[in-house]
Amino acid sequence: MNATFDGIEGHLAELESVWEAGMHEAYAFYRTRAEPAVALAAAMVESAASLQELGHRPPAPPHLLLGDLCLARASRLLASTRDQRLQVGFARAVEHVAAAAAGGPPSPPLRTLLVAAIGEAG
Amino acid sequence: MITRRLDVPTSHATQFVDITSRLQEEVTAAGLLDGRLHLQSLHTTLGLTLHQNHGDGPTLLLLPACTVLVESGRLVLGRRQSVYAVEQDGPRLRQLALQLDGNFADRPESGRAGLDLVELELTRQLLVDPVAVQGPMRRLVEAGGKRLRPMLAVLASRLGAAHDPLRAAVLAAALELIHDATLVHDDYVDEAATRRGLPTVAAREGAARAVAVGDYYFAKATRMIAELGNADVTTTIADAVEAICLSQMDDVRLRGSYPGDYAMYLRVVRGKTAALFSAACRSGAQLGGARPDVVERLTRFGDLLGIAFQMADDLLDYSPSSGKPVGQDIRQRVVSLPLIYATEDPACGRRVHDLLAGPLDEEQVREVQELVVRTGALDRVGEEARGLVAAALRELDEVELDGVRPELTDLAQAAVDRIR
Repeated sequence: MNATFDGIEGHLAELESVWEAGMHEAYAFYRTRAEPAVALAAAMVESAASLQELGHRPPAPPHLLLGDLCLARASRLLASTRDQRLQVGFARAVEHVAAAAAGGPPSPPLRTLLVAAIGEAG
Repeated sequence: MITRRLDVPTSHATQFVDITSRLQEEVTAAGLLDGRLHLQSLHTTLGLTLHQNHGDGPTLLLLPACTVLVESGRLVLGRRQSVYAVEQDGPRLRQLALQLDGNFADRPESGRAGLDLVELELTRQLLVDPVAVQGPMRRLVEAGGKRLRPMLAVLASRLGAAHDPLRAAVLAAALELIHDATLVHDDYVDEAATRRGLPTVAAREGAARAVAVGDYYFAKATRMIAELGNADVTTTIADAVEAICLSQMDDVRLRGSYPGDYAMYLRVVRGKTAALFSAACRSGAQLGGARPDVVERLTRFGDLLGIAFQMADDLLDYSPSSGKPVGQDIRQRVVSLPLIYATEDPACGRRVHDLLAGPLDEEQVREVQELVVRTGALDRVGEEARGLVAAALRELDEVELDGVRPELTDLAQAAVDRIR
């Protein structure tokens, strides 16, 4: 997937390595379901969960911080859409998987939740 | 009646810790005008005493609890009298229980009343969360914190025609949760053992759960803000959170060029601390429907105040009565202005720089602290912090503040009063 073509490369500052490491694949998956900003936000949320190894072992501190930046930037991208349903849906998805990772109720896979959030907003 | 906990870290086996100024801060923050401040030690080997502060008083009497009267908002103490916590089996992190009762300042819908709504909102939000995340966050929230960011949002929200105390409380509670979520992750990165006198979430629950708890509350706070349905507020907070994350990465990266320089310090502090102060002011004003010029003024006010607050926080690293472990910034190699200024000193700067270049044992940490004091760097940082607060308040000179000026002024002064 070409980040320049979709005009999203400006949102990848500090996250270039994460993009190369797999975010581009997640982006390609979501891009068939959503506009670039939303697809990139979804890919960033997935990358954050992966970098932070949510529900598994503790991440290395630099990975934790990169994951935090992914979540923060996803939040900013969603803010730019001014779509409240998307913002709420994405936040709930992270809440579900984070609570499960902390030992709370089991959660559906993150991708399932994000696709549902995109579908409900769309 | 207001109940509080006061952390008292000690650094020696036996030690007198003067807690008078911290007790006065509690009285001022609570708005207690006339009444009583009750203190009780929560440890058998930590006593309390009211004593002459030049060591020439009568025989020392250690008590497990004591009461200090309050009149006109001030502790009633003799000119040379202070309140001491007396360590007899240190060093340890100690805790005192406080209760304040009497007549409190009655300011209808004041910042304090607004803050009560925020506390209720925090409790309400935490109650509905899964136990796995709620427990660790509730302990952190209930352990205290100054709630400066929520207070700023609540006060700023009163500057517009659309002011709604309940919506302001939701925003303020979300800001506190964002702040606390960043602390949970920071403590893991910094390998910190305690926060607000309690084990950190990572230390108590394990790192993997700490990461999940931080993520949960970051997402929840984002949702609370989105549900307010104000796109400007959502954007303001999203921008601030991104600035915080970038600054945290910067902070860790810059520890390699420790102690750094002023420009580097300012860049880190603007993201690490000032971004959320500024966003609290801006989003509060936006939520309340304040005029654009008022929103901009408050944004600059929050930015300057946030920088001043961080400078004051840096100074607390050198104060045994601050409630924080002394020398922690030096041990963790946190970018800190007193250290930067100390390295500029013609007489001691080279030695400070050389010490900071390598690993430090406890004796060297103490040597760095002594050198920093000797260079006058603490006074310089204190003056600068006070200057920034004055500049922050000047930003509000031209703004019609609908009666919140005294509270914003008090809040701004309180940010640096901690270093007196």
